[in-house]
This record gives sequence, C-alpha cells and structure tokens, in this order.
Amino acid sequence: MFPSSNFPSQGQFLLLTDEPSSAADFLLHKSLNSHLKGSSKSRCIVLSVSESLARWKAVSARSNTNLDSYINSESLEFVDVCAASDPPNLKAPSSAPFRPVLDELRSKLGSNGAEYPLVILDDISSLEWIGFSVLDLTRFLRALLALIFKFDASLIVRHHIITPGDPDDLLRFLLELCTFHMEVRTLSSGRSGAVSGEIALHPGRTTVPTGFRTVARARAVQYRLTDAGSVFFEKGTGEAVL
Amino acid sequence: MSSFKRKVSSKQVALPLGTRISPSSPATTITSTGIPSFDDILGGGLPLSCTSLTLAPDQHSAYGELVQKYFIAQGLASGQRICVVDEFAKEFVKDSMWMPNTASPVPPSPKEMERDEEEEEAAGGVEKSIKIAWRYEQMKQFQTTVPRISEEDYCRTFDLTCQLPASIVDSATAESTMTFLTTKLADGSTSLVESTISAITDLLHKDVQGQSSTPIPRRICVPALGSCQWGDMTSHDICRFLHALRRLLRRYNHACASLSLAPHLCADAWGGPGWVNKLGWLSDACISMSAFTADPSLSELFPNHHGLLRIHNLPAPHTILSPSDKHSTLRGVSSSVSSAGGGGENNLAFRCMRKRLVFETLHLDVEGGVGERRTTRSTNSVLLEAVSPKEHHHHDHSESGHIGEPTVQVQLESVAPVTVNLAEGVEGNASVKKPTKVKKKVGFRSDKPDLYDF
Repeated sequence: MFPSSNFPSQGQFLLLTDEPSSAADFLLHKSLNSHLKGSSKSRCIVLSVSESLARWKAVSARSNTNLDSYINSESLEFVDVCAASDPPNLKAPSSAPFRPVLDELRSKLGSNGAEYPLVILDDISSLEWIGFSVLDLTRFLRALLALIFKFDASLIVRHHIITPGDPDDLLRFLLELCTFHMEVRTLSSGRSGAVSGEIALHPGRTTVPTGFRTVARARAVQYRLTDAGSVFFEKGTGEAVL
Repeated sequence: MSSFKRKVSSKQVALPLGTRISPSSPATTITSTGIPSFDDILGGGLPLSCTSLTLAPDQHSAYGELVQKYFIAQGLASGQRICVVDEFAKEFVKDSMWMPNTASPVPPSPKEMERDEEEEEAAGGVEKSIKIAWRYEQMKQFQTTVPRISEEDYCRTFDLTCQLPASIVDSATAESTMTFLTTKLADGSTSLVESTISAITDLLHKDVQGQSSTPIPRRICVPALGSCQWGDMTSHDICRFLHALRRLLRRYNHACASLSLAPHLCADAWGGPGWVNKLGWLSDACISMSAFTADPSLSELFPNHHGLLRIHNLPAPHTILSPSDKHSTLRGVSSSVSSAGGGGENNLAFRCMRKRLVFETLHLDVEGGVGERRTTRSTNSVLLEAVSPKEHHHHDHSESGHIGEPTVQVQLESVAPVTVNLAEGVEGNASVKKPTKVKKKVGFRSDKPDLYDF
C-alpha cells in the first residue's frame, strides 16, 4: 500500500507539493483517515488555510470515515489559520502574525497524552499569496517544527508549485527543513482518464537513513483518482496499458 | 403485478430555484452558468458555494464579460438573486442578452434554435441531400459541442441578438432580487478589498436571516476585478479578494460567484511567473479564454473558432475527483477510461456565433490529420462561393464587366481541387445548364485509430 500507513512517523516532517491539475488533496485525506483509523488513541490537528471543515467531512464520508465522531471525541481538531492569525497588513506588518495559531496548537498538543499526533497544514503557499511575507512564514514554520519535535508529533505541509522546475524562496526553505518530500506531478503528456498523475518521494536534507524506500522521479508511482479515493500502480501497469 | 416496489422517500427536500443535484454527489447543488457547453465542462454546472473565474487575456475582445452576462441573464431568468459588484453595474446588466421572443407566450424550442444556428452556419441545403457511401450513412454527424439541455428551467436558451428588457431589470431591482454594489471604500476601512468583502458578507447574511431552511440562491458577479475602478490593486490584493470570497461562500452555501479579471491582469506578465496558476489555485473553477484576435495567424489556422479554452481548475466541493472528470462530454476524460484507450483530454476552443457562445472540442483540419469526419465544404470554397454570386450578377448586366475576374477564378480552379463549387458557379454564369454533381470531400474518423497511427 502506498504510502504506508505510519508515514510520516514521529518527529518527521513531510513536505507535500502539487501542481495545477494534479492536486494532492487525496493524499492529505488519505493520511488523515489512515492516521485516525490507525489507533483509538491517535490524534490529528488540521491547520486549514483555504478549505472548510465541511469539505473535509464530505470527502471523508465518501471513504466511510465519520469525522464528526472524531471531532466529538477530540481526536480531530480543526484550526482555521486565517481566522486565528492576524490578517496580513502590508502597511503595518505585525511582528508575529501567527503567534495565536501557535499558541492554540501548543495548548492542543499538550492537552492530553495521545500516541503521536499528526499536524496537517493545508496549505502554506496560499498564505504567501495573500500577503504574508516569506520571512513571517519561515519563522512560523520553524516554530511549528519546534513544537512538532517537542511533542513528538509528525507534520505534513502542503505547498502548491506554480512554476514547475523553478523553486521559489519558500520552497527552497521548505526543502531544507523537510524530512521527506513527496512530489505529486502531472504527467508531461497531460491529463487522461486512466492516469491522473504521478508521485515521487525524495529524501529531504534532514533525513536520517532508516531504510525507508524513496521513489525516484524516473520510477514514480502513478495514480488514478476515483470517487472515494485513489488507486496507485506502478508505471506502465495502468488500465490503459495492460 | 410485482410484489417489489421501489421505496420512495416521502421527505424530499425541495431544491432551491434554478438548481439541481450534481450527478456525482448528492451533497452538491449545482446551478447553470447560462451556457450549456460551459455547464458541461464544469460537470453539470457551477456548484453553489463555489467561485468561477474567467480569464480573457485579450485586450481587444470581451469574452470574459460575455460569460458574466450569461451568468446574470440565467440568474434573472430562473428567478435567483443577483449581486453585481461594479461601478457601472446597472449599465452592464442592461446590456445582457435575453431569451428570444419574450413577447410570444411560447418561447421557441431548443430544437428550433438549433436549426437557426445550422442555417446560420450557411452549410447550404445541398448538404442534406448528399448521398454518401452506404456504410457511413448511418453514422451520426460529427458533434463538436454538447446539445442543449431539455430542461428549460435549469438552463434557458439565450439569444445574443435579443437584449434584456429594461423592465425586467427595473422590477428585479425594485424587488431587491438584484443588488448593485459599487466599489467604494467603507468608512473607517483602508482597503477596497476588505470593504467589498464585508459588503458582500452583509448581503449574504441578510439573505439567510429572512429565509427558511433553503434560501433562494444568490449569484455574485464581479465583471472586471482589478480594473481602474478598483484603484491600484496589487497581486496580493487580488489573491486576498479571491481567497476571502471563497472562504465566505463556504460559509454561506446558498451563493456562488462568477468573476472576470481585467484583461491586462490575466497574463503571467502582470503578476509574475506562475500568476495564472496562482489564480487557478485560489478559485474553484478557473478557465482562460484566449481569443485569436491578438494573433491573426491562429485565426487563419482555426477559421471556425474564435479562441482557445484552457482549464486551470475545476470545482469539486464534496469529492476528490471533480464531477467534470466523470461527466463532461467535451473534455472527454471519462470516455477514455471506459474504452481503456487511455486517451488524453480533448483540446477545447470557443466560438461566438451571431446568437450564442459555444465551447467546443478543437480538431485539426483535414489537411492536418484525420481527426474529424468532415461533411461540410472546406471553408475556402464557402468563402469563395459567398463572393462569387454578386460578381456574376454584375457581370451579366454590364457588358464591359471585369473580364479579369473569371479568369482569375478559373486559374484557382486549376490549382486547387477545392473549387468544385466554384466551377459550378462559373458554368452557371456561362448559362450552360448542365447539372454538375458537387464533389464531396469526406474525411472520416475511424473507430480503430491504430489504422492511422504511425
């Protein structure tokens, strides 16, 4: 099964990048569902920038996960980053716009002992686009990562790549911090019904060799989106080929 | 009588005006954009709580505004609430198209309209009676776009030659089903984006307050975001507006929005590298209509179309897979799954005819490959034919007519095999009543593409 259910594991930071017409939502939903279903004591905190809780619920309901029950039992918590943080003000920049988010996250992580919490930030690039400076965002990410290590949690951050092949400042920074970089790419031949895109998994700068298998771009795993989720298959073994 | 009976749920929730349930998810309510082929691309229509952004980077045409006008006209026709955010909103709305023959009690059926269009396309009556090889006779005519939907209420038939009657706008404004918001700074606010968003929030809040469980849908239309009336907007401002509007619509899911950007903002040149992709990520549906008016070589290459359509993002409010991927005929992604052909997405283009705007699949001409079963004459010959009869007339009445012209045409005939019809015209001129059989060029699409795969 790809990706494996306990990925990312404790203290790991997975950077998830996607391109237009191959959005990585499905991987976030998959990680969330498999994490929540993994153990009764597992917890998840979603820091959402653009999507509403309603969509998370609707998509999870398709794969037979009732998020409401998890929210009631406080296994899943949802933080709206835009509402919690100070709005970006270009004329008088706030010194620490994300402090309220981090404070909230710290209190949630420290509140009760869970096995290992998973934190999902969806997504960091929208924050940059709506006017937060790269400096603010890098500070936020560092603080976020410090919290993750402190509470032995794991982190998934999603970043949209808008200029494929030409990484911007924020992406460079993220690549330096991450443990793994999962890259969801469109096929160079464009979209088709049989293959939606391909996924590669690269080790990050801070990866300690643990025998975890990475996937090079040349051998990228292909996927096809379905109603309820996704189907993964090796390159060249798609429905259209066989 | 069968003992099995289909269970009918007695409590069927009434759908809001002018909407229907999305074919892919029962949770999604969709509404029409007013253009059947655009609805098809979106997977049935624009879902409520979603934003749709139309980019038209060409300065010399206004296809973005045309899409907005369809959106407004459809909203008015189906009795939904509309809010137009523009300084000259009323003038903009009054310019919209409307349904044909509104005076007569029975509007013309879609089929009649279809026929009108066919006549308009000047295919000529000869085409119908042409005998072609028996094995191709049963084949349907090659379709490049989707037919109109039979349900009149969901997507009305609009005619670009009809103008929206002023009385309808006035009565809608009086009943406050239509609201105009001007772009101006609210007191105490420093940003136009924030004050506009808060004005829209107030409006949506009022909609929900006075209503029962299913409020009447509200369409928000921003015809020219970032134009001069919006002041000096930065790319951050536009992103913030799109982001805030989308978050707002997620909260008030009885509304949907359709936006267009000012033409100069629709290209990467304005917002830096990746700007269009950014816009795609920040809206639920994002298409760009790049018209050929800026590039004459393209309009020569595709004489039947007026521009290319690119899809940047498609709405999927309750599913991972966008409904469009499963249900869009024009994009053709779903059909390639079933036939296991693994073919890609169709190329799309648009065409604005006298009466309507259509999005169609784009095919190379016969010269460029066998991608199309072609039963109409090549456009060159149609063009020539359109010119020639006048000249004959002229030639008949004046003896000192242009002798040079027919000779030029005869030369053409000898050069190009296309000018079969022209030859007919010339013969007619020489008053020789020999019935000539029009030669047909029939290229065809084969069901087994491997025959032609090299």
